[in-house]
Amino acid sequence: MKRTKALLIAAVAALLAAAGAPAASASAPYEAYTYNYYHDAVPLPAPFLPEQAVTGRSLGVGDFNQPNDLFVTEDGIIYVLDSGNARIIKLDSGWNVLHVYKTFKHDGKEDGFANPGGLFVSGRKEIYVADTDHHRVVVLADDGKLVRIVEHPTSEILPANFQFTPLKVTADRADRLFVVARGVFEGIMQFDEQGAFIGYAGTIKVSPSLADRLWRRLATGAQKRQMELFIPTEFSSVDIDDKGFVYATTIDVNSEETIKRLNPSGQDVIKRFGYYANKGDILYRRIGNNSGPSKFVDIKVLDGGIYVALDSNRARLFAYDDEGELLYAFGGRGSQLGVFNTPVAVERIGDRLAVLDRGKNNIAVFRPTKFGELVNRATALHYSGNDAEAVGLWRQVLQLNANYDIAYTGIGKSLLMQKKNKEAMQYFKLGMQRKYYSIAYKRYRREVMKAHFGAFMTVLLCLVAAFIAYRTVRKVRWRRPRSREAGFS
Amino acid sequence: MKQDFLKFPFHLIVHPFDGFWDMKFEGKGKMRVALAILAFVVLSVILQKQFAGFLVNFVDPRTLNSLNDLAYTALPFFLFCVSNWSITTLMEGEGKFKEIVMAAGYALLPLAVVNLPMTFISRFMTQEETAFYWLLNSFAAVWFVYLLFVGIMTVHQYTPAKTVLTLALTVIVMGFIVFLGTLAFSLGLQIYWFIVDVYREILFRT
Repeated sequence: MKRTKALLIAAVAALLAAAGAPAASASAPYEAYTYNYYHDAVPLPAPFLPEQAVTGRSLGVGDFNQPNDLFVTEDGIIYVLDSGNARIIKLDSGWNVLHVYKTFKHDGKEDGFANPGGLFVSGRKEIYVADTDHHRVVVLADDGKLVRIVEHPTSEILPANFQFTPLKVTADRADRLFVVARGVFEGIMQFDEQGAFIGYAGTIKVSPSLADRLWRRLATGAQKRQMELFIPTEFSSVDIDDKGFVYATTIDVNSEETIKRLNPSGQDVIKRFGYYANKGDILYRRIGNNSGPSKFVDIKVLDGGIYVALDSNRARLFAYDDEGELLYAFGGRGSQLGVFNTPVAVERIGDRLAVLDRGKNNIAVFRPTKFGELVNRATALHYSGNDAEAVGLWRQVLQLNANYDIAYTGIGKSLLMQKKNKEAMQYFKLGMQRKYYSIAYKRYRREVMKAHFGAFMTVLLCLVAAFIAYRTVRKVRWRRPRSREAGFS
Repeated sequence: MKQDFLKFPFHLIVHPFDGFWDMKFEGKGKMRVALAILAFVVLSVILQKQFAGFLVNFVDPRTLNSLNDLAYTALPFFLFCVSNWSITTLMEGEGKFKEIVMAAGYALLPLAVVNLPMTFISRFMTQEETAFYWLLNSFAAVWFVYLLFVGIMTVHQYTPAKTVLTLALTVIVMGFIVFLGTLAFSLGLQIYWFIVDVYREILFRT
């Protein structure tokens, strides 16, 4: 009896200890994951944890009302586009309000915004506002004075009654403007520094499927007019990296290419070398609640070629490296801190991430965990070519998560550089990278052949000699009785 | 032994018309050889899935199951034999069931004979060389189909056109058998559960 009791107590104690231990890591209100080679969603340690939620009231400027965009400059100045209140709030990195832009002088009159959709701040601290319901892009100086207004674009490729309704805006270092506008399917509108329309970037190709084309052929003229047009989808957001490449997202249910990286001539040059397309979730329900592919509404380029895309469908963040491998995905819908209602914008504040939630009227700030930081740093090191340095970090990542294929691949690549082909093969096998495995194997095989060429040739020549000897002996033996027989007859 | 297990099968796969003729009319084929070849093929399938080189092996290791490999190789084989026998008895085929099994069994030999060494060689291949792996595997498959065709034609003493027709019908009949089998199985299950339910009702009645 006593023993049973003691055992019971021990069992309860063990249970409590087991239950107590993961409580610290279970504080994230979501499960982070990535997809492995076999298209399974593999759980990860949380790469980011929610730190705080910032509301308008906590800033002392009154609640946000349907904020639409967020921008953070390199030096950590935060701009919130509080669309419902038609104002822009400028904050320093300690969340102290520096300035509130509400009106500006335009032709001697006070002018303001109407439901602005997008915000961008250039290196010279000029604020670009996509003033959606006023059909214009407003450029303000840091002190709130009007610099210029871009409106009523005219061009022979635009229809005469064209209504310019900008949603998102970004600018490159030469003050060239990239504007995502409503009802524009041709691509991202580009404006020069004077505000003149110069054309489209990132035109989306539409190729109707075979079945569609067959239907079209069979349909009569009247039926064709009834049919849907093959119109490419609109862009949903733009961001620009420090090399001047524009990252853009589209919402297209049927496309595998919802994230684009446009070079200065407007072509999509993003790398899609991952196990599968970089389009967010690859496993999802087709019908019902929470169904359908990811719908990216914002994208932010971080350091080291990493970009984070925000999915409004399931309210998740997806981080990819420059080769298009999913590093991690996290987030979700809900009311706790760290999950979202209607996320609309993602920004980077130093090493932290900030997500603007239009439904909750707040900004959720995430800080990287050890895992997230290691992954980001290792990816950045690999991106800049410091593979040898990245290896140490990747090994630490593997200690935290042994199921992380990208870490194996990263170590493998570095080993390949160091000509440690056999070890590299092992790591590429673990990372399921057939292409690199083949390269490593080819080198390894040549190495082995070189090392053992002498032995190999000796054995081969011996075998050939033995075979010849065997044949001769057999021939002689076979001929002898026949010649004797011939003698007899 | 050597004659039965090595010389004749290898003679057959390179001289199929001659070989199948000998099998049918000279009594050279042996049932146990045909079944041994089938077992050999099953073995080669299992080994291929397990040991083929990383670059050509796309099988998820978590799904490896030798019993499944056995079932998915042997069952279609016998299903084919049964269906072919059912069709050809109605279509004036001269072959007995035993001869059909033997013809199909001997025809399988190239699959095993090519795939087994290729499994080994594939471990020493780079990405560019894997094309040969796929080529030779497809070649083995085509060879198998050709042998099966000749075998069925010889065993039943058919014309080529009629052989094609019966092979096509065989495939359809295979579908039928699977359908009827599933149907019978599902009906059987329903009856079983009905009886179980009635039994439980009676049990809990009081």
